[in-house]
Amino acid sequence: MTQRQSPSALSLEPGDDLRPLSALVDGELSESERQAIEETLRSHPAHADKVAHYREQSRAIKALFPLPADVPSLFIRRRVPWWRWAGVAAACLVLGLALGWMLPALMMTEPAFARRADLAYVTYAPEQRHPVEVVAADQLHLVQWLSKRLNRPFVVPSLQEYGYTLVGGRLLPGESGPAALLMYQNATAERLTLYVTAASQSELDIKVLRHGAHRTVYWASRGMGYAVSGQGDEASLRELAADVCVALGGSVSQWQSRG
Amino acid sequence: MSFESDLLVWLPYLRRYARALTGDSAWADDLVQDTMERALNKWRWRVDGNLRAWLFTLLRHRFIDQLRARREVVMEDGTDLPAPGGEVSGLLLRDVQQALYRLPLEQREVLLLVALEELSYQEVAGILNVPVGTVMSRLSRARERMRVLLSADADLAHARPVLKVVKDAP
Repeated sequence: MTQRQSPSALSLEPGDDLRPLSALVDGELSESERQAIEETLRSHPAHADKVAHYREQSRAIKALFPLPADVPSLFIRRRVPWWRWAGVAAACLVLGLALGWMLPALMMTEPAFARRADLAYVTYAPEQRHPVEVVAADQLHLVQWLSKRLNRPFVVPSLQEYGYTLVGGRLLPGESGPAALLMYQNATAERLTLYVTAASQSELDIKVLRHGAHRTVYWASRGMGYAVSGQGDEASLRELAADVCVALGGSVSQWQSRG
Repeated sequence: MSFESDLLVWLPYLRRYARALTGDSAWADDLVQDTMERALNKWRWRVDGNLRAWLFTLLRHRFIDQLRARREVVMEDGTDLPAPGGEVSGLLLRDVQQALYRLPLEQREVLLLVALEELSYQEVAGILNVPVGTVMSRLSRARERMRVLLSADADLAHARPVLKVVKDAP
């Protein structure tokens, strides 16, 4: 490969196949082959000398290159190929760009039904002449109507113990189908709304959406999203929401464990 | 990891072979380092089989790659290795070393894989990617050439300069 062929002075005698001699030295022959070669060597002393010389060469080569004892000092790096670094860098860049673009959306972690509930409160709670479509006096009709449109039994929870009475309800377009909005009012004309709709999250622990002076407390249970919106302090609203949740067949055990 | 400890078992053998093949301890260390890194990065894709033979194959590929970046220059003794003293079985080690680096590379590598590393012809054929018959021919020529070189008188042995492969000047 890197050197020219040997000068003619070093060539072997032509016609002699010396490969079996090496095979003998290296133990690459079968037993019968070995016996045959050794038999031949007895009558060919020149070849026997070659075999002896080959064996000496092997011993000398092993003596020249003993196994190094200082091997453990070798430092092995685990090299990462450039394309893998490039891939990671590109992925980071893409991720960074995507995050930068999507971050405003990601920050709005509340579900769509909670935002719609909040908006419904803002829209209808100040309404004096038409706060509801169906008034409380017609409660039976209201319950049947909303049950039908929400496609599930609907209960109007009582908030009397909190001083709130039902004003009535209305149907709104929700994120994934119709939404029911119930409105309550207390003696000082403060209003509460309860928003109910089908939700994409089947279960959702209670959370609070804070906008200005009002709060929307929302949760999801068995595929339905609920939101209670109102003025006043958050703790009272949460307490009220817990009662509403139970009244609507949900469980507040997880809420209460959080105090 | 068990692969890495298996690797460490063969490390001394790789290093010995690399030194013998290149006749250059610095180059040999580079070669082994490269080979081990390759092995660590490629072992997941390795088909099961003879780990030692696979490592020698990797080392040989690295060696051939690096050969292209180097060039031959005329050297007095063909190796950077220290001249050994003593003799084994009537052969002066110094002479054996010189004869070894007078072999064409393709003969030297076969001789070293068989005589030094004691690999089977089949394993060597796999490492070199040649038929077993070719391994046997090269080996036979290598040994006979060594014999002639070591038997010949000094004038004949030094009849032509030894080529040593070195790094290209930048």
